Amino acid sequence: MARMKFLCDADRCIECNACVTACKNEHEVPWGINRRRVVTINDGKPGERSVSMACMHCTDAPCQAVCPVDCFLTTADGVVLHSKDLCIGCGYCFYACPFGAPQYPKTGNFGSRGKMDKCTYCAGGPEADNSPEEYAKYGANRLAQGKLPICAEMCSTKALLAGDSEMIATIYKERVLKRGYGSGAWGWKVAYRETIAV
Amino acid sequence: MLIKRKSGEATRTRLQAMANGLSSGVLDRRSFLTQSGLALGGVAAIGSIQLGAVRQAQAGPVNRAAPVEIRKNICTHCSVGCSVTAEVQNGVWIGQEPSWDSPINRGTHCAKGASVRELVHGDRRIKYPMKLVNGEWQRLSWETAISEISGKMTEIRDKSGADSVFMLGSAKMSNEGAYLFRKFGAFWGTNSIDHQARICHSTTVAGVANTWGYGAQTNSYNDIRNAKTIIIMGGNPAEAHPVSLQHVLSGKEINRANLFVIDPRFTRTAAHATEFVRIRPGTDIPIIWGMLHHIFANGWEDKDFIAKRVYGMDEVRKEVAKWTPEEVERVTGVPGEQLKRVAQTFATQKPSTLIWCMGATQKTVGTANVRAYCTLLLATGNVGSQGTGANIFRGHCNVQGATDMGLDVTNLPLYYGLVEGAWKHWSRVWEVEYDYLQSRFDEVPAKGGRPARTRKQNMETSGIPSTRWFDAATLPSEDVDQRDNVKAMFIMGHGGNTVTRMPEMSKGIERLELLVVCDPHPTTFAIHGERKNGTYLLPICTQFETSGSRTASNRSIQWGEKVVEPIFESKDDFEVIYRFAQKLGFADKMFKNIKVENNHPVPEDILREINRGGWSTGYTGQSPERLKTHMANQKDFDLVTLRAKDGPAKGDYYGLPWPCWGTPEVKHPGTHILYNTNLNVRDGGGAFRPRFGVEYQGKTLLAEGSYSLGSELTDGYPEFTFGIFKRLGWDADLTESELATINKIGGNNVDAVSWAIDLSGGIQRVCLKHGVSPFGNGKARAIAWNLPDPVPVHREPIYSPRPDLVAKYPTRPDGRELRMPNRGGSVQKAAVDTGVAKKFPIVLTSGRLVEYEGGGEETRSNKWLAELQQDMFVEINTNDAAERGIREGQWVWVKGPESDSKAKVKALVTDRVGRGVAFMPFHFGGWFQGVDQRAKYPKGTDPIVLGEAVNGVTTYGYDPVTGMQETKVTLCQIEAA
Amino acid sequence: MSKSITASAHEASEDRDVSRRRFFKVLGGASTVALAAPIMSDEAHAGESKDEARKSRYRETDHVKKFYSTNRY
Repeated sequence: MARMKFLCDADRCIECNACVTACKNEHEVPWGINRRRVVTINDGKPGERSVSMACMHCTDAPCQAVCPVDCFLTTADGVVLHSKDLCIGCGYCFYACPFGAPQYPKTGNFGSRGKMDKCTYCAGGPEADNSPEEYAKYGANRLAQGKLPICAEMCSTKALLAGDSEMIATIYKERVLKRGYGSGAWGWKVAYRETIAV
Repeated sequence: MLIKRKSGEATRTRLQAMANGLSSGVLDRRSFLTQSGLALGGVAAIGSIQLGAVRQAQAGPVNRAAPVEIRKNICTHCSVGCSVTAEVQNGVWIGQEPSWDSPINRGTHCAKGASVRELVHGDRRIKYPMKLVNGEWQRLSWETAISEISGKMTEIRDKSGADSVFMLGSAKMSNEGAYLFRKFGAFWGTNSIDHQARICHSTTVAGVANTWGYGAQTNSYNDIRNAKTIIIMGGNPAEAHPVSLQHVLSGKEINRANLFVIDPRFTRTAAHATEFVRIRPGTDIPIIWGMLHHIFANGWEDKDFIAKRVYGMDEVRKEVAKWTPEEVERVTGVPGEQLKRVAQTFATQKPSTLIWCMGATQKTVGTANVRAYCTLLLATGNVGSQGTGANIFRGHCNVQGATDMGLDVTNLPLYYGLVEGAWKHWSRVWEVEYDYLQSRFDEVPAKGGRPARTRKQNMETSGIPSTRWFDAATLPSEDVDQRDNVKAMFIMGHGGNTVTRMPEMSKGIERLELLVVCDPHPTTFAIHGERKNGTYLLPICTQFETSGSRTASNRSIQWGEKVVEPIFESKDDFEVIYRFAQKLGFADKMFKNIKVENNHPVPEDILREINRGGWSTGYTGQSPERLKTHMANQKDFDLVTLRAKDGPAKGDYYGLPWPCWGTPEVKHPGTHILYNTNLNVRDGGGAFRPRFGVEYQGKTLLAEGSYSLGSELTDGYPEFTFGIFKRLGWDADLTESELATINKIGGNNVDAVSWAIDLSGGIQRVCLKHGVSPFGNGKARAIAWNLPDPVPVHREPIYSPRPDLVAKYPTRPDGRELRMPNRGGSVQKAAVDTGVAKKFPIVLTSGRLVEYEGGGEETRSNKWLAELQQDMFVEINTNDAAERGIREGQWVWVKGPESDSKAKVKALVTDRVGRGVAFMPFHFGGWFQGVDQRAKYPKGTDPIVLGEAVNGVTTYGYDPVTGMQETKVTLCQIEAA
Repeated sequence: MSKSITASAHEASEDRDVSRRRFFKVLGGASTVALAAPIMSDEAHAGESKDEARKSRYRETDHVKKFYSTNRY
């Protein structure tokens, strides 16, 4: 069965933020919550590289391991989803996540945290597929519509890959062979305990 | 504090509350309609006017039985031309999907393109017409607004003349809108009708057209995939044209191509270069001549290409000889060995292409810069074939088309100029009396030592460029070469903060008797200066709320279909122009051949009129039907060649890039690559255009031994006229009706009827038959004797950080251009004499951010974009910051050398800029000289993010050919605030 | 680098139509207040059982194939 993954080709990413606004647009993500963001290293210096980051939908996800109310579930596609009905906004997952994916809307004047929000791999949540309830809590369920995450689909330079991990690994290998360089499948070791050998 | 450039993170700020007020997250997709109603109610209550006239498209629940419709339009944020696929239900744009089939973007977008859906939901739009009365915004009806404005325009016309109303159009208009507005200017009787190309690529258009015929990108974004060496000099497409990088990086990878970025700033584009060359701002010509020095010294030039297709290269050699590696390094800071490496690679690892943007053009030497760039391409034989060319990336989504349509103070539509023949051509197309058009223009009295002008002379005199409108309002009348000063501005879709010298603009704007701002958002024009009365705001919809064609940078024309009806009370450009023409009394004449339905001119019909008159540029074959066929069959077009392999458009190039010769029935495929002799003209081939005679100083200007594939004439030839046809015997190929048209146009001089004015299209049709280019087959010019500095020479910026070099490389002496004085020479001399460079030791340059566009009101009002870039900032070098005790993120004053100007911005300390150089983005506005202007916007229309405009501190300096402003090199001082 | 696109645009948009229509068909009288006041009960999972929630959604549709093909050279 196909395992869904993300792969950001840092040699292509130009930090244009299409992934960020496409996500906002698709799911009506409110101001202050960023399911995806672009991080730049060596900013303004030779060796500057950008990587688009979101929940990587880890194998044996650390968020899932630490959640006190067991609100996470990993789907057969390898997508890590969570239930906002069960989430108590404790923030453990934020500390466990190596990618800083979990976000919490502020709900009060005293810094109280709301339900955790994160990238769903455009796969909604544990509500009926593409129901209004699902959309309101988690956003669109593109996977159920036969599509892939909008961030990858709209990536300006085709840096951000999503879909069947074997397919995206093949695409990435093809690029590295063609161009003769590649800075590696960023985050894969941490998230999936594997990397792409070329 | 947020400066996302560095941190890569968005944090919550004071702006969150405002953004929350705009929308409450997940409910939006179906509840924005109601919310818009609510917000509108709030504003209306203030104006105490009832909502009766407001369109109620949002009312009512979603019809669950209705299917989702797919509508295709084109992104409005840059010239790449990305297709936008919109999902619409019940008149509401509910989703954006990837446009896989577009050969241009293949599903992708940048941050702006991926958020365009917000534009038609934006409740920060202008909702209804308003006017400023004693400093308060009042609502009024369209009818009243048009009536009051027309009355005032007529009053000013009677008192001061037609030229006292300055018209500013937009690169965001469709071709049809831009054409209509240019025609409106002609019927009003002024040539002072301009748009953003003035401050964008006007110098490219002038310089490149003067080199080889047309001032446009020669190849395409897609064709860069064929290049083996790419130089990007004076451009940062990773931010300004992100989707273009898909093609650039693919080309780089596929061909293992060399990608050089030559720039003062280590841009996001430079991060992906194989080599970055840092130069001192304003030294482009020494860099190019420095490269040519190595090329000529080592014999790397393309001698065959030069001999056959280039005029005057020997003159260039003389100038280039002066630019030894030592002198180049002294002036530019670039070591000779590095430049030699770049030069050798560019000349020998071909095909090579040169990409440029505003870094080349927005200079006092802009026209000369781009001519030097072209000369490098010519010397190395890198024009007119795959993978080569001047890949000039235009800015706005239709800046190429609006330029083509003549929103330019020196042109009628399609580059016909302003000469009598041009006016007569268009009066034939419009079927209006030439004498009537002439009667609309002012007589200009003698003043300032200049002779008087008749109406005819005035209609043939270029107008005032957009960079100088406020000088034309404030300078003594004898300095302004027209009947009277500028008294009114009629602006459709143009920002105010994008023009330099804003402190001077304040004075100009206060002097205006009438200011009309037609825009989806209140631009800086709406709030700048201390105006209390006489400003009108008219709500115009975006291109997603109307239909029409737009021309991408590569000359491909794409038809956008209306996604939703105009929101609130907004109207499209067509209707507004029509209603004004009606009120001003010339609608019947102006719309004689354009169908108008319910006060709305039909865009397809406007395009057909463009087709009937656009012979000079090959805008004749692109009928609305053909363009729509292309949009519907995008999947048939090849990614690299852009040619349809199959389907109903088989054989066509995508978007019928101009020139697309002859009538639509001739089925010319368009021209993907200009001046390409490897193809038959029938297949999009061509040659350089001989525009400047057939010989100069005893040497031919026609090509020698070079011609396009399959041409029946196997040497250079001039442009075709009926007279030449007769000598070749080709007149026999013309049909009777074509002959009748030619005879009618020619009158008693029928031999002079040329390919460009033959309304029958017969001359072009027969040219195609014989495989020849209608405009001729000439040589490109390395020397443009009709321009200042026929061979480009280096000239220091007006405000140079190197006063020691000004003596050797001074700017041009004072002069007069485009009705205005240009005092650059005196300003530069005064700057040197008073030691400005000591007090203001940092070079200030400006440029783009990916999240925002142009003056920025539209994008700063888009919550998905605004969140990403919340503060105006200045990039300051680490050493310069340390010397000044400036820390990352703190407030600083950037002070300019004129008018005691200053801007309060945040410091971004970085080595992205070299020592002694600072950079500011140009998309901000709404703060001025440290003061927040938010309260001056009509309530609810203020953009989410405001900030200082860089032009609050920019300075004097104009290109002598086009009046282009200097935005890329001035001086400043930076201190902690 | 020719495009190897197998699906027609027509098929793809049909696909979209169905999914969006379905989305709005169930929009009806649904309350979205649930977001502000979530309920901690089994009702929360009213839409899907755990097995249902875990099952695979990914399909290699024409839409997905176009994504893959445009990512290749």
